Amino acid sequence: MGVVIGIISYIGFKNTGSPTLFRLSIAFFAIGIGFGILATGFVLDDFIFKTGDINRGITTLGVASQVIGYWFIAFSHTIRTFFPKSRYFRSIGAIPLFLVSFNYIENILRAISFILLVYGAIETMISYIQGRKKTTLFVAIGLGLLGFGEFIGWYSFVFPETVLYASSIIIKIGGLIAVGIPVLKIPLRKISFDENL
Amino acid sequence: MVEHRTQIKIVGEILDTATHEIDEYEGTTITHIIRNANISHGRLSRILNNLVSQGLLEQVNSKKSYRYKISPSGREFLAAYKTFREFSDDFGLTI
Repeated sequence: MGVVIGIISYIGFKNTGSPTLFRLSIAFFAIGIGFGILATGFVLDDFIFKTGDINRGITTLGVASQVIGYWFIAFSHTIRTFFPKSRYFRSIGAIPLFLVSFNYIENILRAISFILLVYGAIETMISYIQGRKKTTLFVAIGLGLLGFGEFIGWYSFVFPETVLYASSIIIKIGGLIAVGIPVLKIPLRKISFDENL
Repeated sequence: MVEHRTQIKIVGEILDTATHEIDEYEGTTITHIIRNANISHGRLSRILNNLVSQGLLEQVNSKKSYRYKISPSGREFLAAYKTFREFSDDFGLTI
């Protein structure tokens, strides 16, 4: 789903040249690739390594890729909200505010993901309140679910061997599906690349 | 709060205005575009030159002044713009 949203956003960028769509395409490609890396880790462990636990390096890589995606979503909202006229901040300069206090890379990445997702969900909810578009509400709920899934996933480190990790993945999949609802409205037949535009 | 419009949004509004036929003549006047797209004459002239050179707008000579009408590729661009403006709105973002 993440990669599909990324492709649609990229087609939008190619057709309109909008920087917002470019940032969205990077965000969702990174999120999709992150989920893909985690899934590959599970498959490799199930069929090759058979340790019963996914390799920590692969998990960290997958989570890191997702953090990049969440960062770009939060970054787009930061530009819209705080720097509507600044060309510098509209390019690369802004960093969403976050606070971390964990020791391990994966935990730090999950904490960053959680904060970025909460920020993105709140900003999207504010947009929904302003515009009252149902699909915006689904995106806000989706980002909220992804954040909640991330939180539950982090908690599974504290209480391993419980259903928390599986619950986290199910919640995150639900979140990603909700975030992908706007894609259903895109009339794919009419979209084409036009190199002359 | 005053809404900041991106360049792409202004271009979209100009192209949208250029689809209107305001009288019996072909195309739309600069005054009509300035009013509808809410943009200064100086800035509009630069954008219009750009859009004409890219083939999104066509310049039509009338008796008194230049008029502009949207080209077929301009219509395609406008359709794509509207689709992806909706898409960005869904994510709570401005295109």
